[in-house]
Amino acid sequence: MASGQPAYDFQDAQSGDLGALAAIADAMKSDSLTDRLESLKRLNVLALAMGEERTREELVPFLDESIDDEDELLLSLAEVLGNFVQYVGGPKYAYVLLRPLENLAAAEETVVREKAVESINKLIEAMDQPQVEEYVIPCIARLSTGEWFTSRSSAAGLYAAAYGKVTDAIQAQLRGGYEALCKDETPMIRRAAASNLVGLVTRVEKSHVVSFAIPNFRRLAEDDQDSVRLLAVEPLVAIGERLTTEECRQSLTDSVQKLCSDKSWRVRYMVADHFVAIAKSIKDKEIQEELVNVAVSLMHDNEAEVRSAICTQLDGLADLANSENVAARFLPPLQELVEDQSQHVRATLAKHIGTLCRVFGKQGTIEHLLPLFLRLLKDSFPDVRLNVISKLDVVDSVVGIDSLSQSLLPAIVELAEDKQWRVRLAIIEYVPLISSQLGVQFFDEQLSNLCMSWLGDPVYSIREAATVNLKKLTEVFGVAWARTTIIPKILAMASHPNYLYRMTTIFAITAIAPSVTPEIVRDLILPALESLVTDPIPNIRFNVAKSMEPLASVLRSSPETAPLEQTTIRTVLAKLEEDPDPDVRFYAHKALESISNSA
Amino acid sequence: MVQSDLDRQIEQLRRCEIITENEVKELCNKAREIFIEESNVQRVDAPVTICGDIHGQFYDLQELFKVGGECPDTNYLFMGDFVDRGFYSVETFLLLLALKVRYPDRISLLRGNHESRQITQVYGFYDECMRKYGSANVWRNCCEVFDYMSLVAIIDDRVLCVHGGLSPVINTVDQIRTIDRKQEVPHEGAMCDLLWSDPEDISGWGLSPRGAGYLFGGDVVRSFLHTNHLSMIARAHQLVMEGYKKMFDETCVTVWSAPNYCYRCGNVAAILEFDENLKQDYKIFDAAPQEARGIPAKKPAPDYFL
Repeated sequence: MASGQPAYDFQDAQSGDLGALAAIADAMKSDSLTDRLESLKRLNVLALAMGEERTREELVPFLDESIDDEDELLLSLAEVLGNFVQYVGGPKYAYVLLRPLENLAAAEETVVREKAVESINKLIEAMDQPQVEEYVIPCIARLSTGEWFTSRSSAAGLYAAAYGKVTDAIQAQLRGGYEALCKDETPMIRRAAASNLVGLVTRVEKSHVVSFAIPNFRRLAEDDQDSVRLLAVEPLVAIGERLTTEECRQSLTDSVQKLCSDKSWRVRYMVADHFVAIAKSIKDKEIQEELVNVAVSLMHDNEAEVRSAICTQLDGLADLANSENVAARFLPPLQELVEDQSQHVRATLAKHIGTLCRVFGKQGTIEHLLPLFLRLLKDSFPDVRLNVISKLDVVDSVVGIDSLSQSLLPAIVELAEDKQWRVRLAIIEYVPLISSQLGVQFFDEQLSNLCMSWLGDPVYSIREAATVNLKKLTEVFGVAWARTTIIPKILAMASHPNYLYRMTTIFAITAIAPSVTPEIVRDLILPALESLVTDPIPNIRFNVAKSMEPLASVLRSSPETAPLEQTTIRTVLAKLEEDPDPDVRFYAHKALESISNSA
Repeated sequence: MVQSDLDRQIEQLRRCEIITENEVKELCNKAREIFIEESNVQRVDAPVTICGDIHGQFYDLQELFKVGGECPDTNYLFMGDFVDRGFYSVETFLLLLALKVRYPDRISLLRGNHESRQITQVYGFYDECMRKYGSANVWRNCCEVFDYMSLVAIIDDRVLCVHGGLSPVINTVDQIRTIDRKQEVPHEGAMCDLLWSDPEDISGWGLSPRGAGYLFGGDVVRSFLHTNHLSMIARAHQLVMEGYKKMFDETCVTVWSAPNYCYRCGNVAAILEFDENLKQDYKIFDAAPQEARGIPAKKPAPDYFL
């Protein structure tokens, strides 16, 4: 059990042991918060032992009366009660849980209220129509008219779930009640009404979208508080989805325009962040065309957050714009964004700009976008460089690797020596792909030295990635190439004065062994490892031991080299098994065992 | 303890998942058996990579291993302050302890001033144990291990490694060997000073603003090194924005291994690699990026935690 032992032993409670039940009851009154919390987690055990009837008549009222003042406990209680229907006798008794949850829904702490609302919604889910009408509707009414803002704000979260479960007449009441919340004098309540409006928009009949949802949305979208207006963006999308193109044009155009040019940047941020969703829900081609212009203006926004948010929408935006003039419209703002003074804007742009290649087409990308990529690859902020590199494969697929490498290769080579090791890592992972496309001659001229230099990188993870890279390159360019080009260079490192770099040699040749022939293992790799058996540093020796097993399985694949497993490899391991260092002995012994097993 | 169990626990802790209370107890017993055999002055052979304060910053410790290499391939010496302040003291200390038990010759752990009952009750380790295990048993087990950890290490008879620094009542390494270290860190005296003192640009000794240990000057370091035929002192204990700081003609170096300390200081971290010829190489690293930190805890940690 991951959470360990609590101070009270609750383990036996499962069996209904009276002592354990008493312990839970005690713990509920304990001075220690941890014990009280723990007792709440075991409440179901207590309820099971008490039976459904006593749970309804004693336990639930007890919980309601003894409501604690610790927020952490209230939160836990609000959660537990939402899952308690089965312990009070099933859905038909779910209503008994409403009372304590209604109190919790009025609590001061936001997370407690939110959890209580979530739990009440679960109860509503379980109840049938008459029960919802008899118990939930009055509860919503009480909360909605509560004097303190906390209960009214919780009420807003309950309407949507209840709406689908009541008759027309009561639905009308609910719409009226919700409208009152939308008009509440406290901004916090109007915020709650705005953020829960989506749930109602999707549930009301079409006629009420027009008569109820739209007027309330408009009211919220024109609120004098920006914190309310910004929450109108999501309802806008939801409403648009329920209307026809014509209806959208008539009822929403106005509000969209106002929100887009709102004087508060927080509102414009929300618009920018939901831009494609808004444009799609509006459907009208003409308005969408206009929206593309709005998007362009958001790219020039004064606030970095807004510019960042609109950059995340580039993919969808490209689809909205008429592809003929997409370059003409987007290029000027993009050229400014690559030079943006905020590094976060540039980083976001770097992550999303690649998606534009698709609409720019091959020629357009080479002509217009590649210069921008190049600029971003040279950015002073590492995240920007990293984001461009990690999306380069998208670019490949459009322009073909040839033109990409020729224009970007110098920048890539430069990044291969980047100060940030994660940038170097991203480049390494990209190398096998470039290499396979460019061919062996190009690789030997341009990239070979780079790949070898990574083996001597000061950062361990880079050295490790470099060995994997060499393995992949061997698979691309073939064994003969590896034999003459990279293996001699790797083996030369076996005499490096620093043990960490000698170790890289072992890692590298062990990594490429499965990709070369058994003869190369016999002629080049095994002798190199044998020479390291007497290395003064134990770490080298136990890595030699670790490498023997993968080598043995390569040797086994050819009848000519297979005998070496029982001769050379066994000799090496037998020697290491006598080593003064316990770790060397351990790994040698382990390797010998597994070789014997496979023999 | 069966080796495969221990290997499984190491894997689990590497994923930042805690092991059970019983496993902790067993691990601590095993660790104590190993530490009890080690002298106050632990002998360490080069090559070894030395590291400063970690302070429960688990994902930054992972970053350290990514830069320096994994244990046991790379040899490590940690100079204390594994716990407190960060969010993952439990996972951090238990992982290092498990590695110590599994590979006692590949990793050394020294005691820092935070490896103490008093300090951990104030700076978060105690609360974290209570939160993650629901009882104080794990904390108690760990504290017993603290009492047995070595105070200093000497690499190849040349480099003295200690969490804090020197003490006015200690002139020779042999005097360190005579301390009875198996106790809570005292409020004064040689053992306290080793874990609490700081180097400072003064001559001789000064009062420490920390209220424990002393400030010591370059002349103190020079004479200590001379007396004991050593070439330098490596220590941790103080935040350095650049990750490491050399003082007194490179005879004293501070190594700090908690990047963006307390998740807000904006500093880089460092480790110091000594190769087999005692050639030094400092490696600088940043805090682990957000995506390397796994899924953040659902509930925000309470305010008192940091």
